[in-house]
Amino acid sequence: MLEYRAYEQIERYLNGQMPAEERAGFEALLHTDARLAEQVREHKQLLQAMQQYGQRQSLKQKLNLIHADMEAEAIPATPAGWKVFWNRHAQTVAVAASVSLLSVFGTLWSVQQLKAPVQQQTARYVELRREVERLKKTQTAIINGINDAAKPAPRPAAFSGTGFAISADGYLVTSSHVVEGADSVLIENKAGQKFKVAEVYRDQVHDLSILKIDDPAFTGFEKLPYTFKTAESDLGERVYTLGYPREDIVFGEGSLSSTSGFEGDTTAYQISIPLNPGNSGGPLLDDKGNLIGVISGKQAGQEGAAFAIKSAYLLQMIEEFPKTASVLPLTLPRHNTLAGNPRPQQLKKLKDYVFVVKVYN
Amino acid sequence: MKKSLYETDEAIVEGIRRDDERALAHLYKLHFPMISHFILSNSGTDDEAKDIYQEGVIVFYEKIKDNSLELSCQIKTYLYSVCRRLWLKRLAEKGRYAVKLDESDSFVPVEEDTARHEEQEKQFGVMAASLEQLGEPCRSLLEDYYIKMQNMQVITDKFGYTNTDTAKNQKYKCLQRLKKIFFATYKPEV
Repeated sequence: MLEYRAYEQIERYLNGQMPAEERAGFEALLHTDARLAEQVREHKQLLQAMQQYGQRQSLKQKLNLIHADMEAEAIPATPAGWKVFWNRHAQTVAVAASVSLLSVFGTLWSVQQLKAPVQQQTARYVELRREVERLKKTQTAIINGINDAAKPAPRPAAFSGTGFAISADGYLVTSSHVVEGADSVLIENKAGQKFKVAEVYRDQVHDLSILKIDDPAFTGFEKLPYTFKTAESDLGERVYTLGYPREDIVFGEGSLSSTSGFEGDTTAYQISIPLNPGNSGGPLLDDKGNLIGVISGKQAGQEGAAFAIKSAYLLQMIEEFPKTASVLPLTLPRHNTLAGNPRPQQLKKLKDYVFVVKVYN
Repeated sequence: MKKSLYETDEAIVEGIRRDDERALAHLYKLHFPMISHFILSNSGTDDEAKDIYQEGVIVFYEKIKDNSLELSCQIKTYLYSVCRRLWLKRLAEKGRYAVKLDESDSFVPVEEDTARHEEQEKQFGVMAASLEQLGEPCRSLLEDYYIKMQNMQVITDKFGYTNTDTAKNQKYKCLQRLKKIFFATYKPEV
């Protein structure tokens, strides 16, 4: 009971409810009684702790209420959730995205690579008309001009191809695309004979054109050494051509590798002769010196896949020509003087009838 | 809630000083997103964010109540600094050393405040445990008398004691026990 009284006293003292006299007495007692002082200190601390604890609890409750209130206000919690998710996984997502992008484009790229040869297979058909290097020509022209100031420098040809004679009275054949859009056309052979020619007939479908020499200096060819073959040639036959892929005449030899042309075109042969721009319009002959076709083009990116229009279609055009142009039928060569000769001999006879076709526009 | 009323930091501090709950609520809602973002972007959860933020607000609140607040920066910065500090501690306790924080704001040194706060928290933790251990009806009795500051007569009626003396006697016994339990575990670090 004593302690109980003491507690009450202590509490009254701490609450400041003691009358002044008692308080003074109690404080004096505190100074002397260390045990009591300790008890008072402890009691004070305990009560303080308890009260503060209570306050803190209520404050926390308040804050929780505020928090709940705030969360209730921010009803669309999902965006926040997404945001949190995004914040936490942004890096992972970024890595995943880049990996998937890489693999998608990588796959696309490699598939493209695999498909590339196939694409080449179906690739473009390249017409072998030659675009003449302007710069070089201009330069030579200037030099010529210095040497011979009186003459005006000749204008360089824009394009060139190959053409060959089909009759002794000055008709020639070349590819239509060679003389396309031409202002004027000149032909020149290995011997240096130069003639002005004009396009007199065109078969757009088979890419063939007939040229006629339109020059007072022309007196007629000698007898042509080759004949035209009407039947189709056989697979594997040795064939050759002469052409002007550059300034000089060039011989090319190979074999007839297919009786159909680009993408199954039955009007043309496929031949395995390395050809270059400028070869277009050249004659294609077989071993016996029969003209079996006219060089027309090759397949881009494919080696040894060149094409020549079959001679049957050339003959067909030659037949049609007099009817539409109302001229006398052409007298085609009848005698083949090439047959049985070795190749160099054949070429010697042949080369005078193969011309470079220079196109100006 | 009128926002215009607490537009400035000074107004908020003044409001809390006047025990205006709207000021506290406004402050709480104003800065929670910042802390939440900070905790969440430093491997915390929503609950931890709430926890840390409330502790931060309490530190700030107590400082105002103590009149020991000398704000040399914005409330925002102060709260951020306190929460940052508390979170660092929490992370260290969780065993995540070598923490590299993803910092988005500047902060001011608040070690003293947080240390005081932690000491208090410890004390309150012991108090809560002691009260828990005390059991009913002692606990309610003491809480009613010392925390809710209820009248002895009310308590007597509530707990069904014959008179206030019995109640007082009971209260004394309870307090005695609480004292024992409390000081057995709590050693103030003074």
